[in-house]
Amino acid sequence: MELKPILKTLLRNKIGVAVIATQVALTLAIASNVFYIVADKVSAARQPSGVDEANVFRIRAANYRDVADPLAQQKRDEAALRSIPGVQQVAMVNQVPLGQSGNNSGFFLKRDQQQSTTNCATYEAADSLVDALGLKLIEGRDFTPEEYLEFTEYPTEGQPLPVIVSEAMARVMYPEESRYVGRVFYQGNGDKASELRIVGVVETLSTPWGRTSWGSKTGGESLVMPVRMPTMSPQYVVRTEPGRQSEALKAAESALIQPGDGRILVPANTMLELREHRYRNDYFLSSMMATMTGLLVLVTATGILGMASFWVGQRRKQIGVRRALGARRSDILRYYLLENFIVTSIGIVAGVVLALVLNQLVAESLQLSRLPLSDLAIGMAMLWLVGQAATFAPARRASQIAPATATRSV
Amino acid sequence: MLTMKQLSKVYRTHLIETHALRSFDIDVREGEFVAVTGPSGSGKTTFLNIAGLLEEFTGGEFLLDGVSVRGLDDDARSRLRNQKIGFIFQGFNLIPDLNLFDNVDVPLRYRGFNGAERKRRIEHALERVGLASRMKHYPAELSGGQQQRVAIARALAGEPRLLLADEPTGNLDTAMARGVMELLEEINGQGTTIVMVTHDPELAQRAQRNVHIIDGQVSDLDRNVTLLHTAAHKPVAMSA
Ligand SMILES: Nc1ncnc2c1ncn2[C@@H]1O[C@H](COP(=O)(O)OP(=O)(O)OP(=O)(O)O)[C@@H](O)[C@H]1O
Ligand SMILES: [Mg+2]
Repeated sequence: MELKPILKTLLRNKIGVAVIATQVALTLAIASNVFYIVADKVSAARQPSGVDEANVFRIRAANYRDVADPLAQQKRDEAALRSIPGVQQVAMVNQVPLGQSGNNSGFFLKRDQQQSTTNCATYEAADSLVDALGLKLIEGRDFTPEEYLEFTEYPTEGQPLPVIVSEAMARVMYPEESRYVGRVFYQGNGDKASELRIVGVVETLSTPWGRTSWGSKTGGESLVMPVRMPTMSPQYVVRTEPGRQSEALKAAESALIQPGDGRILVPANTMLELREHRYRNDYFLSSMMATMTGLLVLVTATGILGMASFWVGQRRKQIGVRRALGARRSDILRYYLLENFIVTSIGIVAGVVLALVLNQLVAESLQLSRLPLSDLAIGMAMLWLVGQAATFAPARRASQIAPATATRSV
Repeated sequence: MLTMKQLSKVYRTHLIETHALRSFDIDVREGEFVAVTGPSGSGKTTFLNIAGLLEEFTGGEFLLDGVSVRGLDDDARSRLRNQKIGFIFQGFNLIPDLNLFDNVDVPLRYRGFNGAERKRRIEHALERVGLASRMKHYPAELSGGQQQRVAIARALAGEPRLLLADEPTGNLDTAMARGVMELLEEINGQGTTIVMVTHDPELAQRAQRNVHIIDGQVSDLDRNVTLLHTAAHKPVAMSA
């Protein structure tokens, strides 16, 4: 209704319009991209690891002297841990989900293949990880006790090593298939390749890193080998009965170390702690970015409020005249809200273009997919709302200007 | 057209009470051209503002077009202003960011006329004041006299029954003032009731009737003159 005269008036106040519209555009571009990055980080941090996280902890004891028989030491450790009340399962393992250190290796569908089909986290466990981590088998079976090898026996000539893979890994290896048990592939290629055969598939098993920009996009491409390896600092995952973790954890810490045995205990971590450590920086960065963006929105809102107040102040007389000529209070209120809506909309149109350009850059450098239009739409709605909210007080003040201002003020 | 009986207006601030109008009686009939004079601060603008529903009054009675306006809410007063009353201000009060066409359009939009109707009325009103050719110009590009003509066109476009003018020639030189006065006389000749506040005795002389306000009251002397006036001049029937 008032659209045309408002547009004409705005055309004669181009600088103010440009200032506010630019601010809105920048805010939209930045806010929608930040929202998107933060949402991505948060969803990565919440991604399930496949582990019964509340009831699993990891404990390590490093040797600082040579150990005569490291494998025997591991078995003693396991026995000691298993005897702790409340402990359900113990497995010696080379790495833990979200532990942030471990091995990746390349896997090949054929021996003579040049490029690996996938690079994925390679777990070596001396006991059932399915039980010790509480993984969910969705196809096939767990390893049998006879399948666990000691490193001296491995690789076994002519007989494929049984492995359990995560479904994410299986999908990358065999994108066309839906059943994976029995399939044979290779770790490494050429003469040194070792043959592997899938005996089981778990629904989820996070890598030690989870989702990262440099590695796996799903953070879940993992494989488990039934192998006991000698190491200077063996680590064990321990699953306890619900509610008995802290008690068992304390007992475990004293169980592994004997005075004078040449070992140092590395403080144990629960799975929940590991998750917290893994994502602490991401959360910190996300909250920083969100805070800065919040401040940016606030600055924009302040700019809009300031501009609206300035215009209302400048037009006091004119508003009085409009009232004298028959404008109701609601007409004046609507005039200023509509005026802001137009200016904000100009900024939003420019901001959408800017947001997409910025997203192009961000997506390339952070390995993210394209900004979903729904995120952009949320940003647009937010700015319209911020604009209207910031304008409301000055618009209301405008509507309260007395009609007599037309004749009274100078 | 406009009747006030024992009307009073008190401005209250936290320091003082100002009795701007006291026992104020006036009766302006349909088609009259009334000039209101009086010393500064006597209450002329107050009277005009109340007459034009820009301000509320404190006591007494006020009938506009035979209807009491006491207790009307803000929206109803806005609607009455929009439909029945035209305003002309000393400072012209055109909106600087709108061209002449859009300035005249302002009250018509509040009236809710459609685009074609508004255009017809705007063009007609600007023709009446002799500025149809400058429709696309902005107020700043016009002389004071021309700006006041546009303000008159804006006041007329809604075809109000009552035109209220507060020192419409106060910011104009003599020649321009005369031009505006002639225009008002012509409009009055076509049937619109006009109440004009002026400091200029010469212009006041040209109105059909003078009302002199002193200290918030219509002066007694004036009442007599008014009586004489109404006796001498029989109300003339106006054609549209
Ligand atoms: N909003 C207000 N608050 C307080 N007092 C007011 C207000 N408006 C007017 N007055 C006072 O009311 C009295 C009448 O003022 P009014 O403006 O009607 O005088 P006027 O006759 O129009 O004067 P002038 O010729 O100078 O325009 C004055 O004493 C003035 O100070
Ligand atoms: Mg005055």
